[in-house]
Amino acid sequence: MKENKPVLSAKEQLKQKEFQEEAVTHINSLYNYALHLTMNPSDAQDLVQETYLKAYKFFDSFERGTNCKAWLFKILKNNYINKFRKNAREPGKVDYDLIKDFYHTIKDVQRDTTETDSDFFHSLLHEEVYQALQSLPEEFREVIQLCDIEGFTYEEIANMVESPIGTVRSRLYRGRKLLRAKLEDYARNHGYNTDSGE
Amino acid sequence: MNCNKAKVLMSAAIDEELTSKEEAELNQHLAMCPECRAYFQDAKKTKIIIKERIVRVKAPQNLVESIVRMTNITST
Repeated sequence: MKENKPVLSAKEQLKQKEFQEEAVTHINSLYNYALHLTMNPSDAQDLVQETYLKAYKFFDSFERGTNCKAWLFKILKNNYINKFRKNAREPGKVDYDLIKDFYHTIKDVQRDTTETDSDFFHSLLHEEVYQALQSLPEEFREVIQLCDIEGFTYEEIANMVESPIGTVRSRLYRGRKLLRAKLEDYARNHGYNTDSGE
Repeated sequence: MNCNKAKVLMSAAIDEELTSKEEAELNQHLAMCPECRAYFQDAKKTKIIIKERIVRVKAPQNLVESIVRMTNITST
């Protein structure tokens, strides 16, 4: 496999190596985030590709020692807003068929480990949890995704969504409350009694 | 502290984002309130279930390769 490989200066080689170690290593997380934003593998690929292109171009401005994954997520989010938001689905409107199809497409790729617990949380299907999450207003869904799935700190999330930490904290609380109510609905459908005081 | 305030703090406690003063206040409330203790356990589970049940996929190999290639081209 012969390619027209340009000769890089030592400085460029170093940058390239650092970029691959610091940034490319987060590609799976970025791809998943892009998938959940666009719900379309092809758009997700484009989004991730453009994100990396921009990130590489501006890699010198990345503050060393800070969280590179958070930096990349912010670039991806901005790209998404510029590129897709204009013709995005109406806020609050959930296309359950689309979610179902999408989820079945990606579900076969990778499965979780065995689940042995038998309480109502564990009765929930992957698809139901996903639907419940997707049905939340975007401002809540976004912070839950960034916090619970991606593991960002409140400070990092606040920076990404350009809101104060207090707002992130309150959105997480309210979003989780809504999410829990939805999950309990699903659990009830599985025959679990979910009365727990609230 | 009332139960509503405690629930707000629980959400941040799960993420280890409380100040030490808030943590002490919450613990004090939890020690006295069995309902909130049960709620706290469920709230922790909700976070776990989200993490566990949302399926993660790997980025397609062609995407990974194209990004690695891109760093070569852009470096000129």
